[in-house]
Amino acid sequence: MSLTRGAKKSVSSGIVSELVRSHLASAAEEMRSALIRTAFNPVVYDVLDFGISIYDRNLDLIAEAPGVPSFIGANDYAIGKAVEYVGEENMEQGDILLMNYPYWNSAHTYDATLFAPVFHNDNELFAYQVIRAHWMDLGAKDPGYVLDSTNMHQEGIVFPGTKVVKKGELNKEVLEILRFNSRMPAEITGDLNAQISSIRTGERRLHQIADKFGLEALKSSIEKMLRAGEESSLEALSRLPHGSWSAEDYLDDDGITDELIPMKATVSISQNEFKVDFAGSAGVARGPVNMPLGSTYSTCKIVFKSLTTPHLPSNAGNYRPLKVEASPGTLFNAVYPAPTFTLWTGIVALELVYKAAAVGLKDFISASSGGDLPGFMMVGVHKTSGRFYALSNNEPVGWGAAPNHDGANALEHHSVCIGRNTPIEVLELRTGMTIESMSLRTDSGGPGRFRGGLGIERRIRFVEDGEFLSVMKKSKTRTWGLAGGLGTHPSGLRIYVGTDREKRVGTRRIPVKPGDVCTLVTAGGGGYGAPFERDPQMVLEDFLDGYVSEEVASKAYGVVISDGKVDLRATERLRAKLRDLG
Amino acid sequence: MSSEKRFRIGVDTGGTFVDAVEFDEETRKFRMAKSPTTPSDPTIGFLNALQKLGTPLDQTYLILHGTTLGVNAIIQMKGVLNGMITNQGFKDVFEIGRGDVPSASMYDYNYLKPPRIVKRRRIAEIPGRIDHEGNIIRDLDEQAANVALRRLVDDQKVRSIAVSLLHSYKNADHEERIKSIASKTHPNLSVSISSEVVSEYREYERTSTTVLDAYIKPIIAEYLHKLERTLSVNGFKGVLLITRSDGGMMTAATAANSPISTVQSGPAGGVVGGSHLAALTKRQKLITMDIGGTSLDVCVIEDGQANVIHQSQVEHYPLLLTMYDVRSIGAGGGSIATVKTGLLQVGPESAGADPGPMCYGRGGTRPTVTDASVILGYIDPETFLAGDMPLKPELAREGIAEEVVRPLGVDLVEAAAGIMKVTAANSMGAIKQITVEEGRDPAEYALLAFGGAGPLFGAILALELGIPTVIVPSAPAAFSALGMLMSDISYEVSQTDISVLEESSIEGIRKFFAPLESRVRGILLRQEAPFKKVRVHRLLELRYLGQEHSLEISIDDANSVSEIKASFDAFHFKRYGHKIDDLVEIVNFRARAVGLLEKPDLPKLAKATDATPPPMKRREAYCLTSDKMTDFGVYRREQLKPGHVVEGPAIIDEGVTRTVIHTGQSLNVDEIGNLVITA
Repeated sequence: MSLTRGAKKSVSSGIVSELVRSHLASAAEEMRSALIRTAFNPVVYDVLDFGISIYDRNLDLIAEAPGVPSFIGANDYAIGKAVEYVGEENMEQGDILLMNYPYWNSAHTYDATLFAPVFHNDNELFAYQVIRAHWMDLGAKDPGYVLDSTNMHQEGIVFPGTKVVKKGELNKEVLEILRFNSRMPAEITGDLNAQISSIRTGERRLHQIADKFGLEALKSSIEKMLRAGEESSLEALSRLPHGSWSAEDYLDDDGITDELIPMKATVSISQNEFKVDFAGSAGVARGPVNMPLGSTYSTCKIVFKSLTTPHLPSNAGNYRPLKVEASPGTLFNAVYPAPTFTLWTGIVALELVYKAAAVGLKDFISASSGGDLPGFMMVGVHKTSGRFYALSNNEPVGWGAAPNHDGANALEHHSVCIGRNTPIEVLELRTGMTIESMSLRTDSGGPGRFRGGLGIERRIRFVEDGEFLSVMKKSKTRTWGLAGGLGTHPSGLRIYVGTDREKRVGTRRIPVKPGDVCTLVTAGGGGYGAPFERDPQMVLEDFLDGYVSEEVASKAYGVVISDGKVDLRATERLRAKLRDLG
Repeated sequence: MSSEKRFRIGVDTGGTFVDAVEFDEETRKFRMAKSPTTPSDPTIGFLNALQKLGTPLDQTYLILHGTTLGVNAIIQMKGVLNGMITNQGFKDVFEIGRGDVPSASMYDYNYLKPPRIVKRRRIAEIPGRIDHEGNIIRDLDEQAANVALRRLVDDQKVRSIAVSLLHSYKNADHEERIKSIASKTHPNLSVSISSEVVSEYREYERTSTTVLDAYIKPIIAEYLHKLERTLSVNGFKGVLLITRSDGGMMTAATAANSPISTVQSGPAGGVVGGSHLAALTKRQKLITMDIGGTSLDVCVIEDGQANVIHQSQVEHYPLLLTMYDVRSIGAGGGSIATVKTGLLQVGPESAGADPGPMCYGRGGTRPTVTDASVILGYIDPETFLAGDMPLKPELAREGIAEEVVRPLGVDLVEAAAGIMKVTAANSMGAIKQITVEEGRDPAEYALLAFGGAGPLFGAILALELGIPTVIVPSAPAAFSALGMLMSDISYEVSQTDISVLEESSIEGIRKFFAPLESRVRGILLRQEAPFKKVRVHRLLELRYLGQEHSLEISIDDANSVSEIKASFDAFHFKRYGHKIDDLVEIVNFRARAVGLLEKPDLPKLAKATDATPPPMKRREAYCLTSDKMTDFGVYRREQLKPGHVVEGPAIIDEGVTRTVIHTGQSLNVDEIGNLVITA
């Protein structure tokens, strides 16, 4: 047929390769909409807590569909381990396998990874599909989320790469094991079916693509596509400064004790390699904050992608120059039976890797964002319907200032940035809380020549009994600015405000009663460049919009505002004086 | 028929051209004219097109108009200086939004939100609070409202304000009181209140819709006012109607009061035309595909009805607004071809109308799809735009040689064919989005191809997607303007009221609808237009308890709650492939009033008595099914009459557009003059 005839002639491979790329990307998109359309679970269809990828026989990523960024890279590691365990020779047309062993899965046990081989003409394996999605319950020690496990066996039932569908037939025995091990068997079954139907969709499409282009043309196009991906990364690397830089930061705690956990990353960039080494970080933690190596890889992939080719579609070629090192049995390379459930380490470590890179790349990189994903959830029984509810929200933070512009105010953290917060009108309708205010926090952006984005504050008054869960892992240490820009105070939650039980906390499960109040603040992004170099007009604009107070305008920026105007002479004098004070 | 009622005119003001189509009720014939868009004063281009058309305006009783003025003001950030009033403690609802980054920017660590269209300094907070059940938990501070208005209007000189308060969908009292205060203290101020713009829950989406409405309201109002005056000076005594985003029409006065509903006014016309054509040709399922200079717009029609959605986005700002589910990508005649790291890419960047494709010879420096079409022999440089604008093929050749041939090491024809193929692949992606990705099989549809470049791509896209039939209507380049002539007057109001369906009664539901129905009927009847009759439809948005996404079903024929539940289950199954054994929740009540207008019927043409004429000439062009330059027969469209059959490869040239079929494809002409291609 027309568009593909050229493919078989394989003359103009640059054109065919682009056609193959768009066909594969479209197949991944189709899998995505099949999943969203049929999923039962709001975490899938609203929060987009899933990752969909397609690989060739060499296990090179050839297409992906947007989900949570940190999920996509995770599949790359998982498929390698899964195929190694099962053995390519043991896979047959129509098989679909389940794997959630955390050390291979690059995430916790509740992220169920389904994968399936795809055969051409029933005999030649040419691709794999992988779909992971967060399942609601697989029998861990506590319902919902696990914050304090001390080994893997408290985190739910584990499958190492098990055929849930064998040659097209559902394996009912496996399904029954799943159902008997879950507190929410109906939801699990629904989500399993949604993933299977998505894989079936992808399979049909991949067969058509193989028929259309022919396997040989498909392979050579993929090869060219991967090479183009690699070249674009290498080209980007060649434009970055080369060298090796380190940074340190802290995770709040391990979920068991209250001790800070040190983390260190070293980023080395050369003409053809981007290496991240976590040597110097803490050893294995007692609580569930350890990172499976694949998850550490995903974190590094997000940084690498954003620094090299953020606007190009991903394929394995892009990531060829990336190397990640972490010793087995440490925080960043968990081995059996280390607990791994709370995935927040990857969220905080994302900014650690940026921080290391920023030492050498400060002309290319933004300062830290608010540095965390402050999330909350309320659980209780609905007053009118009597139904149990659990509704969560991910709060936005300020993003870091860039070398050439201010950071964005109030965005979801990079690790989940295409997800959304929950509307006030929905929170009030569905849970026992009233939101008394929600606004940007004046002065929360890190001062700099370019200002960090603002975090937010929210005041919640409870009107019914229930439990309030707060999850954040960087509430004790400051975020960082860049090139002379300043860092910011971290996020935090004050509970029982206005009583003698008032207290500032990070991650916590809190019983609440009508009348209780808590206030949540999220961190702003770090500033970029020296604050005294900020254009006084921009400081004035910030003042007029209430992003910066008059006090901070003068103290941090040395800008004197009077009668709604910049007093330029007074500003010069003040800046000179403040510079002298150092 | 009185002579004042002889003509109706459809006018579609696009980014590049104004298309005007006249329908003569006496001769039952259509005529069209085209004139450049005049962005500095769009009424000039409008009038130029009418003058070119030459229709006597004093004998014209209806002018139906689609405009991109509103959406362009938003995209180009050229709305008016605006302000906002909101609850104390919540001035940042609009800026914080939902906190999400578009997925195309998910790896962009330096992502910036779209620029703020209302500055924070022009947002006033006032005390007063209503809860989720509609109870007033703190009364409105009217004094604070007065102060806020003075500050915004007298000190900061805003011309338009948006008022958006929490839970106003449940109780609009505070918003209405602010509006009433403003009308007394500042009668010239333009005010948009969220409960009137869209009375639905989710504060950010409602606020965003209201802010965008306020942002363009004075612009649309002034434009329409001026347009009505200009038309009146030129003798027009009929009714000016404006196309809504859902394809219905509204009078200019209604549009001035609800400008946000014009945001998809442009593409809607083609979809209305598509629905009408579907009915005329007795096709239940149709995909409309409009390819112009910069973009491709596609929409699905099922059971004769175009799909609508209730939430969409413009420039990343959400809109709660009923509109056709039109998907757009940057692919058209002006899309630019480049080679990046060895791969050929086409679009989304466009050369637009100015400088336009290289072959226009107006300073374009990068090759486009139109340039490739010239190289491949589809476009005859001599007859382009009916000879009004001879093209320069040597410039197209040079451009493609430099930008594509050199980096890829292919020959010129292969490079040009590559540009067509990559464009086709991108276009297929958009059609797949609304078909296979939504569980629809393209083989069950016909493709209606129009716009300047639609007929060029229709046949090959259909072949690739497994769509058996392509229809190219008469005057495809002006089809959107023509479609407007087929529209009815409509208006819609909605109201969020979340409750469990099984706990409601049909009487209760009808009672809830009563005020909505009377409001929507009132708005419709106040628009003095020549209706045949008025119908009001009741629609419910429903979902399973705990779901976020809802589906809309009509309850016009339902006599009980269990019937409603059964039709929801059935629709959910049809759409998503499963139903759930759980309670159903009502989310929104929606009343839609339609005032039916007389439609111009497309007259049946006499069947040809002669055999299909021979081609006017023959030309070498690129056949995409055999992948080589081939001898094509070239026909002029007016040569072809109902009953004629043309075998591919062939080009049907009508000056502005050309329909291309390849080897193995054929077309015939149906009884109303459509080209019907068997792909």
